[in-house]
Amino acid sequence: MVAALRRLYRKGRDQWLFQLQDSEPGTVTLGLRRVFIVPTRPGMAFAGLLLVMLVGALNYSLGLGFALTFFTAACALADMYLTAKNLALLQLSPGRAPPVFAGEEAQFECHLHNRTRLDRYAVWLGFQADGEPRQATDIPAGGDSAVRLSTPTLQRGWLPAPRVRLVTRFPLGLFRAWSYWRPDARVLVYPAPETPAQPLPSSGAASADGHGTVGLDNFAGIRSYQAGDPMRHLAWRQIARHDPALGGQLVTKHFEGGAVAELSLDFAALPPQMDLEQKLSRMTRWVLEAEQRALPYSFRLAQQHYGPALGDAHRAACLRALALFGAEGQ
Amino acid sequence: MNKLALRLTRDKSDTLLLLAAALMVLAPHFGHLPPWISAGVCATLLWRAAITWRGKRMPPLWLLLPISVAAMAGVYLSYRTLLGRDAGVAMLALLLAFKLLEMRARRDLFVVIFLSFFVLLTNFFYSQSMPTALFMLATLIVLLTAQQSFQYTGAVPPLAARLRTSAKLALLAAPLALLLFVGFPRIQGPLWGLPGDAHGGKTGISDSMAPGTIASLAQSDEIAFRARFADAAAPAQRQLYWRSIVLGDYDGRTWTRVPRRRGLQRLDVAVAARGRPLRYEVTMEASGTRWLALLELAGPELRVPGQRLRDSDEMEQFTADPVAQRVRFSADAYLDYRLQAGERPERMRRWLELPAGFNPRTLALARQLRQAAPDAAPEQLSTELSNAVLARFRNEAYRYTLAPPLLGRDAVDDFLFGSRAGFCEHYAGAYVVLLRAMGVPARVVTGYQGGELNPVDGYLTVRQSDAHAWAEIWTPADGWRRVDPTAAVAPERVEHNLARALPRPAAFGLGPLLALQNDPDSWLAQLRFAYAALNNSWNQWVLDYNPDRQRSFLEELGTAFANGRSALGAALVVALLALLRWRRRRRPADPLAGLYEAFCRQQARHGYARRPDEGPRNYAARLRAMPAGAAKRAAMEQFLTLYGALRYGAPQPESRTASLATLKTLLPLCR
Repeated sequence: MVAALRRLYRKGRDQWLFQLQDSEPGTVTLGLRRVFIVPTRPGMAFAGLLLVMLVGALNYSLGLGFALTFFTAACALADMYLTAKNLALLQLSPGRAPPVFAGEEAQFECHLHNRTRLDRYAVWLGFQADGEPRQATDIPAGGDSAVRLSTPTLQRGWLPAPRVRLVTRFPLGLFRAWSYWRPDARVLVYPAPETPAQPLPSSGAASADGHGTVGLDNFAGIRSYQAGDPMRHLAWRQIARHDPALGGQLVTKHFEGGAVAELSLDFAALPPQMDLEQKLSRMTRWVLEAEQRALPYSFRLAQQHYGPALGDAHRAACLRALALFGAEGQ
Repeated sequence: MNKLALRLTRDKSDTLLLLAAALMVLAPHFGHLPPWISAGVCATLLWRAAITWRGKRMPPLWLLLPISVAAMAGVYLSYRTLLGRDAGVAMLALLLAFKLLEMRARRDLFVVIFLSFFVLLTNFFYSQSMPTALFMLATLIVLLTAQQSFQYTGAVPPLAARLRTSAKLALLAAPLALLLFVGFPRIQGPLWGLPGDAHGGKTGISDSMAPGTIASLAQSDEIAFRARFADAAAPAQRQLYWRSIVLGDYDGRTWTRVPRRRGLQRLDVAVAARGRPLRYEVTMEASGTRWLALLELAGPELRVPGQRLRDSDEMEQFTADPVAQRVRFSADAYLDYRLQAGERPERMRRWLELPAGFNPRTLALARQLRQAAPDAAPEQLSTELSNAVLARFRNEAYRYTLAPPLLGRDAVDDFLFGSRAGFCEHYAGAYVVLLRAMGVPARVVTGYQGGELNPVDGYLTVRQSDAHAWAEIWTPADGWRRVDPTAAVAPERVEHNLARALPRPAAFGLGPLLALQNDPDSWLAQLRFAYAALNNSWNQWVLDYNPDRQRSFLEELGTAFANGRSALGAALVVALLALLRWRRRRRPADPLAGLYEAFCRQQARHGYARRPDEGPRNYAARLRAMPAGAAKRAAMEQFLTLYGALRYGAPQPESRTASLATLKTLLPLCR
């Protein structure tokens, strides 16, 4: 009963008072109706100070004491107005949200546009669930600012952006104005790659002469370094020729495995007793591994089949299929 | 690393700004704090500045604690108390200085700033003048800037811009502050008993008079009170006798008030006043005494806010408690009056008493003058005797001076026959002794004479230098009558003022300047009058805006707005302001966005509102389906194409204005 009442109270507070809404498409303007304001702790102390000053002025009949007290109080009220104004009429729009692997931090980019003639200073942003925001930004008059907010991911699939809280105490810190916004953005969360990595499936079509590691037989030129390339494959001569001042980069010797037949990552080929998520994790790891080793691979997951290929688009398509496997509306 | 260094310098500059604000708050206190406290506070601020400048560590608590305890002990030794106004202010100043050394968290920062606000208030214990107010306003703005500077997180505008922001905030606050000042319900303080030193030492007329008492008062330019005559011009200078204390007892040296004899019934004092009273308003400065100086003769209906009033048989008026702060009241004066006329002469015997064994030569002179006077009715006799004394003052070589020579045991003898130089108290005293010796009831009256009329605001300023002593003699038919013996010696004093009667010696050839100052028509005097008038309105409206003044002002305001025309005018002004504001809000910052918005509003009226996700091109495609004439269609097409080019195309500043004009002409065609 009590819990139900509490839930009802929370719902009423959030929907009616704080106007919490689901994600809003496009650019959102923070109207004054959406900006809330309360005194901060120093603000409360300031009210006490004003009271003491008033009593002092009263007791000693200080005409200027009254003037100072009222002027200071008026300054505090002006501060309240300016604090609310520091947040009001800001325009918000979601930015890029690149896909991540489960367990990593999802990054949401938030764009703040200031179409007014007033510089906005010290606007703090953070997800509502994270408590007090820890990132601050300034938005000059007529300018924009971008803030990247991160939140941990646990599950594969789509992760909608959590509700963002914008807070400001500028200019005097006596009041705290805040507002909520749910960006219309989502991050695709790939399954976490399996660790430790299992060797790539060398399916039935192994090399005819049966020797050599996959893809390490014939030197076939160089390519740019990718994280995870073994140290002994670095093309030191080419690296030395690059001028580091010009943004020199590491290059790796590239071998082509003439010995291997096409690498095929087939979901159905995994042992059936394995857990689904573990299977997806393994597939993810293999996709990464194949990409890293630059082995063209074909990918098969239920009805989805991508021919043997290599490259970012192929990798993204495979990972997306893995992330959304079993979800509705893939 | 670079960013870190930048941040460090920002912290430093913020702290230095806070120190500057604290110095501005504390500096006015250095005038009255004991020198060691001023020096200590300065040293602490310097120490803190050095710590900030060099990026050193703050002093540890074990060092600060003994220092602050020692400082507290020092305050106790200096003031013999830790309570009270002055000791409290000293403690606050030290506290603020030490708190600056113990500033670690953001919370401490607020503590320092709030403490500064309070110390700012305590400045007003010592001065509430206009320059002080201006300086405090500047301090407040610097303080607000310091507070604001700590709130920035990224970019910090330069100091000048921050000061401007604070000034803007103050400007925003000003109307509200004014409203609060005028309208906030005032209560007559104090709320509780004030410490003894709550109101500093004040000067004023005292209830005894020895040679030199008034002369020392006359050196002071302090204002005793201001008066304004409500519905008539101020009386002539020589009629402005502000009667305060009546002195009747003389011990050979000092004149004192006649003590109230315990158990004796108060006399019925017959007062007959003729004519209409002169109504005037007095704003009396804090005197620290209970005596009121009122234009004689004060009417009976006198009310002083916050005070109970007493009066005496001698028609003195005084308050039950010392006047510790500026007070404003109205009074009536009957310039034509008779006091105790027709009283039985035996009841006047106390005004004939003289100490035995003093001033033998004076008594001899009195006998001589009495015998020389022709026998006449008692009425004329008193007048003749008085005139004989005045004639003696006038015709013999008596001098009027602020610095008379010292007098011996028989002070009146020494004055009349020896030095022949004196100030008003000498003349008044000698006159009363002579007349009493001749059998005429007489007494000394002290108060103020004259005052300076400010032509700018019509206020008459009476200073301590206008303190004066004169005499009253009693005749059976006329009762008490004022006689001013000083007028016989120095008519200038009564006709004009003390400065005219006794020009001060000017140093370094500044004589012409002083003459300029004393001449009421010179530009310097005009300037002085204008400033005095400003200062007076400051006193009346800011410093002394008390519950009474508030009530009367709000009532005045109420009646001013009660008539329909002014109320209508006020409503019109408010409506106009609201309209201006509304218009300003309606106009978007970007003219291009404004035109597009107007266009979308137009089409929405036809049922083709732009969807939030629609760009101009998609919108145009959808609008093609709208049933409309060919001209409108073309206009819409052109409008959206142009808008798209302006909004999303490469910026072309030179053709932008022309394109905007084109959009403006297209807009009505799309209606």
